[in-house]
Amino acid sequence: MLDVLEPLLFALLAVMLLGSGLVVVLADRITTSALFMAFAFLNMAGMFVLLGAETIAAFQVLIYVGAITVLILYGVMFTPQGARPYGLFFQRQTPVGALVAALAALPTVAVAFAFRDSPSPLPRGGDLSGLDASIFTDFAFPFEVASVLLLAAMVGAIALVKRQE
Amino acid sequence: MVPGPFGIDPLLWALLRLLIAVVLALFVILNGALLLIYLERKIQATMQDRIGPYHVGPFGLLQTLADALKLIAKEDVRAGETERAFFIAAPALVFSPMLASFVVLPFAPPLTGIDINIGLLYLTTLGSMGVLGIVIAGWASNNKYALMGGLRSAGQLVSYEVPQILSLVTAVLVVGTLSLVEITEAQPGPLTNIFVIPLAFVTYFIAALAETNRTPFDLPEAESELVAGYLTEYSGMRWGTMLALTEYGNVTVVCAIMSTVWFGGWNGPGVEAFPVIGVVWFTLKTYAFILAFMWIRATLPRMRIDQLMSFCWKVLIPVTLLNLGVTAALLIAYTGDLRPVAAANWILLGAFFLGLPALQQRRLRRLRERLRARTLGATGVAG
Repeated sequence: MLDVLEPLLFALLAVMLLGSGLVVVLADRITTSALFMAFAFLNMAGMFVLLGAETIAAFQVLIYVGAITVLILYGVMFTPQGARPYGLFFQRQTPVGALVAALAALPTVAVAFAFRDSPSPLPRGGDLSGLDASIFTDFAFPFEVASVLLLAAMVGAIALVKRQE
Repeated sequence: MVPGPFGIDPLLWALLRLLIAVVLALFVILNGALLLIYLERKIQATMQDRIGPYHVGPFGLLQTLADALKLIAKEDVRAGETERAFFIAAPALVFSPMLASFVVLPFAPPLTGIDINIGLLYLTTLGSMGVLGIVIAGWASNNKYALMGGLRSAGQLVSYEVPQILSLVTAVLVVGTLSLVEITEAQPGPLTNIFVIPLAFVTYFIAALAETNRTPFDLPEAESELVAGYLTEYSGMRWGTMLALTEYGNVTVVCAIMSTVWFGGWNGPGVEAFPVIGVVWFTLKTYAFILAFMWIRATLPRMRIDQLMSFCWKVLIPVTLLNLGVTAALLIAYTGDLRPVAAANWILLGAFFLGLPALQQRRLRRLRERLRARTLGATGVAG
């Protein structure tokens, strides 16, 4: 019975995830984009649950839906939103963007298909006791590197939008 | 997948179970809200030397039912300039995480929806999702008071989540599990967690008051400043869903967490022999905290927004962080012995209660000095 239900749920989640991702990029209002981004995160959490990683799913919702999206909305609401042509943002770089996206997507798809017949990554049920050991020992370094990357991205964003004085 | 009783197909049984769970949770939430609103009005009335509702039904018991019927029968009004889809979605976004919280609450050994090993994390996750709905409600109303209320609320909820989670983490360190059932089973005797980590309880209690928008932290709905905050444009059952159902449902959930984590949940006399009795103890403990919330609402004034934020970031978060660090260190130093943790926690609790008035007095003294200096300077210029 699970064999029928799981692909069905996966298909549903995948369609909603990709659909909301499309809306994030194509919506003409940034608040709509932010909301559908939250919805995409929720679907992503559903996928984690399907993979048997409930803890990751819970953190995904806690951090991305509960904190990051709210902060983004907070920022959006403090910035003036006049009647400016929203579409222009993405239209000007369409060819370059498509090329970069394709270059990034093709290897991803290729790698994804290489994992086609591999077994389920984790035993079912929660994975809390496995997660704590791996995140503080084996993956401590990648974890720190990722946080340094985030810091660099933040500094870069501030440098980009800083007015010349 | 769980095999169904009476030979029901497992797939059908899964759907049926979902339906039964949602209906049961809705039943508990709806009736709980009716009862809690009645209690709130009656208790506040008693404390303020009034009678409270008494016309409808015996002791006015049916007053809230009449109010609810009025809300349901009310015309569904929506202002023309609101964002249609978001305006309609916001109450659901606030309500559904609260509804989903009820699935893990351990009412009694045979009366637990599901025992997942990350129960507490699940509850905090759902608690953090409600903020999104509130921000959306404020924005979609297209009303400056609603927007201000929504943003205030987002700031408040995101800030107070930090001490709330840190207090829970301290408790989890002591118990060693995130499953609500295991946390309950870890405190069978009269020596519950409140005697081990009282400071974590106090900080959680304060943060929970703020998370559920209760006085003295009900800034998002400060009617003297913001009309009704993010609820300004809502009326009828949408207002009822957002305010009455969600607020009282959230209060029930945080009070249930408090009674589970610090007061032993369903444990009490007679539970060994008849496990169903646990639901009585659980409900009594939970309602004791709800009554404390109502008592606070009837007695304390509302805080100012800057006081609210500075209290969270300058007092509550350092205290909870210190508590977490001390508890973790002592747990590693004295493995299996909770007495050092308890001693440290009681000392810290005493310091917290004694330190707060001292801090406040120092602040007031500085304020007075600054005022005096300013008036002296002003007279000096005039003379």
